[in-house]
Amino acid sequence: MGNKNLIVRSTLAHEDVYLKKWLKEPGVLRWFPMANDREIEDAVRLWIAYTQVGSCITAEYNGIPCGMATLYVQFYKKLAHQCLFSIIVSEFYRGQGIGKALLENLAKLARDKFSIELLHLEVYDGNPAIHLYQREGFVEYGRQSHFIKDNNEYIPKIFMQKSLV
Amino acid sequence: MVDVPGFDIRFSTFEDGLALEKWLDSPGMLHWFPMSAGKELQESIQNWIGFSRFNASLTAVAGGTPCGIGTLFLMPYQKVAHECLFKLIVDPARQRQGIGRSLMENLMHLAKNRFQLEFMHTDVVEGNPILHLLEGLGFYQVLKQDKFFKDDGRYFARHLVECDLRNWRPHGK
Repeated sequence: MGNKNLIVRSTLAHEDVYLKKWLKEPGVLRWFPMANDREIEDAVRLWIAYTQVGSCITAEYNGIPCGMATLYVQFYKKLAHQCLFSIIVSEFYRGQGIGKALLENLAKLARDKFSIELLHLEVYDGNPAIHLYQREGFVEYGRQSHFIKDNNEYIPKIFMQKSLV
Repeated sequence: MVDVPGFDIRFSTFEDGLALEKWLDSPGMLHWFPMSAGKELQESIQNWIGFSRFNASLTAVAGGTPCGIGTLFLMPYQKVAHECLFKLIVDPARQRQGIGRSLMENLMHLAKNRFQLEFMHTDVVEGNPILHLLEGLGFYQVLKQDKFFKDDGRYFARHLVECDLRNWRPHGK
């Protein structure tokens, strides 16, 4: 994929439709806490709400949205120097550098616009995106062994972080 | 053993938010919580006491007057509904009298038997003596994240602690 066709820009509020579509792609919900349409609606509403503060970004390839990431910017002063984020890439565009581009742009946005010093994420054990996070400098600092319970199977949540200063 | 005359524990009501506000706003208390005074505090109180409508919050009373609150922040998604975050606070004037421990034991009982929760967890600010109480009740540390809180220019770690309720019995029974 030629990078000249890939741009990363601010997410628009009406792009919730893409987010819902990607979350409903086969197997994707395994990597998220949501389990059904109602929960997806709720999570997408929360995600897209951050467009109001400009902390969501969309990757677009040849004019078509193919991935998104958002900083869950903290509104408590004592927590505002650090931030959790979420990221998703449409299954049709995986393995082509979209996730890397989103992560790099997100880190820049976090540092330059929101003065964030510490970026962190939560990912479920077995998610292949862990390798991307490691390559981008995120380091595991803990795991919660029984965080997800799906069909009576527990899936650990892994905590990773990266200093931006 | 609670050394307080007229001690009892009941479900919280929305009106208990007044006591919650008073305790949180007392000197030094907010250091142990993520919110700051003012708007942040007001919003967090609404959120916290809001769980009383699910009967997920307990209030300790002494002679009918609230002296502590423990609350389960129930999770909204199915795959994480087997666990929850909780918060606990004791009236600063009533601390070290066994109220926190009694509230916690009742909260754990509520979590396990009413809501069928398997795990409870909370974030504890570095240096908070509640860590010892929780460890005594079977909580263990999941992780420590340095520099999670930044208060007056100083950084403080968070300890994420958790309890496995599946084998928990009150009073070690």
